[in-house]
Formats: sequence, C-alpha cells, structure tokens
Amino acid sequence: MNKLCVMASLALGVSTFTITTSQAVESPASSVEELKRQMDILSNEVQKLKMGEAGAGVRADHSQYGFGPAASKVYRIEHGVSLGGYGEFLYQHFANSKHDGTTSGISDQITMMRAVLYTGYKFDENWLLNTELEVENGTTENNKGSVSIEFAYLDRLISPAFNARLGLLLLPMGLINELHEPTVYLGTQRPDVETVLIPATWADDGFGFFGDLGQVSYKQYFVAGLDASGFTDAGIREGRTGGAKTDASHWASVTRLDYTGIAGLLTGVSAYIGNASAEKPAAKGGGMKVPIGIYDFHVDWHHRGLQLRTVGVYSTLGKIGDLNNGRNLVGSQSVGDSQRGIYFEGGYDVLAGGTSTQALIPFLRWEYYDTQASVPQGFVRNDANLVRLLTAGVNYKPIDQIVLKADFRDYFLGDGTGVNQIGVAAGYVF
Amino acid sequence: MSFSSRPVFGLVALAVSWLTVTDVQAKFFVSLEEALKLAFPGCTTAAETRYLTDAQVAKVRELSNGEISSAMVVRYRATCKEKTAGFAYTDTHRVRTHPETLLFIVGSSGILKKIEMLSFDEPQDYIPKSEWYNQFKDQPLSNELELKRKIPPVTGASLTARATTQAARRVLAIDQVLGKETR
Repeated sequence: MNKLCVMASLALGVSTFTITTSQAVESPASSVEELKRQMDILSNEVQKLKMGEAGAGVRADHSQYGFGPAASKVYRIEHGVSLGGYGEFLYQHFANSKHDGTTSGISDQITMMRAVLYTGYKFDENWLLNTELEVENGTTENNKGSVSIEFAYLDRLISPAFNARLGLLLLPMGLINELHEPTVYLGTQRPDVETVLIPATWADDGFGFFGDLGQVSYKQYFVAGLDASGFTDAGIREGRTGGAKTDASHWASVTRLDYTGIAGLLTGVSAYIGNASAEKPAAKGGGMKVPIGIYDFHVDWHHRGLQLRTVGVYSTLGKIGDLNNGRNLVGSQSVGDSQRGIYFEGGYDVLAGGTSTQALIPFLRWEYYDTQASVPQGFVRNDANLVRLLTAGVNYKPIDQIVLKADFRDYFLGDGTGVNQIGVAAGYVF
Repeated sequence: MSFSSRPVFGLVALAVSWLTVTDVQAKFFVSLEEALKLAFPGCTTAAETRYLTDAQVAKVRELSNGEISSAMVVRYRATCKEKTAGFAYTDTHRVRTHPETLLFIVGSSGILKKIEMLSFDEPQDYIPKSEWYNQFKDQPLSNELELKRKIPPVTGASLTARATTQAARRVLAIDQVLGKETR
C-alpha cells in the first residue's frame, strides 16, 4: 500500500514535470531551473524508495535539499516476518571391514540429513523473535527421523553492549553449535569433537544477556541442566533435553567471551558450569544431581584463501560413581568423569586469487577425543572411546549459498574397531 | 559447583532490564544525517544527483567487476572551507533475503574512508564486527579489494561480507567514473 502511494506520488511528479515542460517555452531559463528542481525532488524520492528502512533516517535540511515535508509513511521502518533456512543431503559409504580386519557390516546410506526453516518476526525496534524448525532424516515415520525446534527465542534489544534473550537457546560454545549451516563448516559432517563433547547442536531453555564491547563480545546465559540419565560411556550427547519438559530443579551457567580485534580472527573461550539432574531408583535414594563443567577454547582465522580453526574441549563430571551405581552401569559402561578432545582444521580456497566468486577448498582435519579420559575407581575405560579421526576432503561452492562436499574419514578407535567412511554431501542456505 | 540459586539473580536482572528500559530506543544504526555529520565534521553536505550514461554504466561494471542496479546516483558532497572534502554514497543491496543500506564515505582522492551501516534487516547475528569494516579504510579501488584478498571473509556472516565488498567496489567505481567529470 505504501509503495502504491509512492508510485502515485511519483506519477503526480512526472505529470507535473510534463505540464511544466510544456509551459517552459515561454521562459526557457526559468524552466530549466524548474526542471532541475523537479528532477532533484524526483531523484530524492527514488533514492529514499531504494533505501527503504534506512530512508526513514533521511532528515535532510529542507531548504538545502528541497525535500518535501511529507516524506510519507512508506519510508517508515518496516517490520514483520523473515524467512530463511538450510538443508543437507548426505551419502555415506562405509568400509567393508574395520581397522582390525573384522567385517563392519554397515550398509551404505543416503539421507536428507536436515531440512531447516528459520522464521523470525521483528515486532518493533526493541523486540524480535527468532526460531529454527528442523526436520532430520526426512520423516518421523518408523522413527527414522525427527522434528525439533532447534531454537526459539525472544530478544530484547537495548544497546549494542547489552541485550537480553529468553527462550530455547543455542548454547554459545565452540564454533559449530551456533553456526552449524552446511556452508559454514568443512566436510560432509560436523567435527566429532563439537558434536560429541559439546554436544552440537545443543539448545536448552533459559535466558541471558549478550552484547559487543568493542573488540570483545560476550554471552551469559542461564539454562536448565542436562539430563544425566542419558549420559553414557560415549559421552553426554544423549543427555540433551532439547527444551522438552526439562527438569528445572538444576541449572547451569554458560559464559562465552570472544575477541575479534583482528580482522579475520575470532578467538575465545566458553564455560558451562552447572548441575545435571538424573533419575535414580527410589530404592537407591531417588533423584540426584551431577555437577558438570565443560570448557572450550576456539580459534577461527581467515587470511586470503587460507582458513584455519581449532577447538579444544575439556569436561569434568562429579559423582559419576554414584550415577553409575544408580543406573547399574558396570565395568567399561561407566560415564567418563573427565572427557577431552581437540581438533585442528585447515583449508585453502584455490580459487581465492581470481575474480570468481566460486570457492574450491581442499581441507584436512585431525581430531582426537576421549569420552572416558578418566573413570571413577572401580570402573574401567573402553578403548573404543578414544578416537583419532583424520578427515580429508573438498568443499566446492558454485555460489556462496550452495555447497557440494566430498571427504574421506579415517576413523581410528583405540580398540581397532573404527570403520572408515567416504561421504558425499550437498547443502544450501537461503 | 552448587548452582541452583544463581539463576534467580540472573532472572531478576533480566526482568529489571526488560521492564525498566522500556522507553529507550535500541540505537544500533545512525541516521544518514548523523552519519554525514560524523564523517565530515564542520562541513556542509549537499545531495547531488548524477545520471550515468550507458558508457559510464559499462565502465562502472568493468571497474567494479559487478553489477549496478541504477544509472541514477544520488551522492552527498561535503564541502569544507569552500573545497570538496569528499563524497558519501548510499548503497542498498540484498544480503540474504533482506536488504541492508550502507553509507560509504569516499575521500576527495577516491579512497574509501569509512563504511557506516544505516539499516540491516537480517538478524543482527549476521553483522560483522566493526574491526572487519575497518579493513576497508583507506582502500582504493584495486584488485586487492576483494574477499579473500585484502578483505577476509567472516564466519557466519559470509553473505554480508560478500555483499559489503561488492558494494564497496561498486561505489568506488562510481566515484571514479563521476570524479573525472566533477572534480
């Protein structure tokens, strides 16, 4: 409607322009000036139309620029719905045999790994909503896939240095958890260190604050704790609640500090400190809480065609002996009471030197992680939980929003049961 | 590692911030007028419209290695002590699905001095940090003014980085083409 009004105004301007032109025969000098004046008015109107929301900020000096006083409602700040999304297809070929020579027995697989829709709503200058609805593995039929709200939060924008957030929040840890779109990371799959130890994608209900303080940005969230009933010897990943009827008797603090004082470099630390809740048979004392701390450092550096990143994670969990006993976990089934991992990744865009906007990025990533770096007395480690993973592959982006990927993943588990994989993937964002 | 009581303090702070700051407007972007005053303190600025010829449009495309959406250019001339101190150009372009408007301050010698964001309709998580924008300071239009050359990409804001770099090249190309006529 507003645009219609502007078009009508422009049409009126053009008609006036035409009439004035026809009258110019009588006074050529003044008509040229009048034409110039009208052209300036029209060009300013078009300019404001092009600028849209920013045009609302035009408060030009009336006498100097000759703007009409009725800049009109069309230039008011626009609000409303925004849509976005991403998706990933993945084909995996698994080696017939494990590292130790035994048969792997894993069939090749292809899946619509993720299809995601972002929906946002800007209520006004101070309030906005942001949500991510995700379908994993195509369908929920036969329990093959799932539908989840990955995040859904309300932002109260106050100033660049201090803002408030409430809802189902992505925890600000590592490099992948908040930025997990396929065009952002190298390889057909996200780094294991960030999906096993952090564990991305990880969201919980809570609230917090965030802001930029010049070269340093921060996030401070308070979220409901993990569910320790899901912890296993393979890590804490199954302890995520996804914001669904989470036990709110135990909470955690998540703090993140990032330094971005050098262009191309992002480096920082995160800390998750809190308690996980765990159900325990009444005969063994009922519910319990498990203290947990997860700490990471992260570095992401881009220089010309080169991109390097590393993330290190260390976790410590308390009362694991009690948790194991309460859940009847014995021997090597113990949850690790310390867990650790690190990865290094480097890629180089071989097309970066030219004028093309395409990217072709061969890369290498080396990961090491151990979800049972230590276990309580009376339990033993499972060597299969010590993983060394080398991934070599290539990302090709014909345009910024589409990526084609291929890689080889050499899985070396401590007990020799690793199965190598070849992956081919395609991803998009919009 | 007892933590059960701490969220209460945070919750109180959250409530206070939400309820007591209700009359404060979020101040993330400056207006065009404010940006011009900041860029050219003590100078007068006046809008002037230029209409590029077909040959000039082609030249801008060639110099910028990109597209130009309109042959009409409105720019703001800053005059200090009766001398042209520089020009400011606005450029509105799509980032992902929504537009942003940037103000480019160009010195009288055709060097990019500053980029100011006037509006950004995508989620603000996609806005690069100010240090990234500082990379454009004192950059002329050259082959180095490209992503993954002088300008590093931004993880998580790659589309913004691409759009901004292309806009910078476009504005400097326009300034170069117009500069020969008017300076």
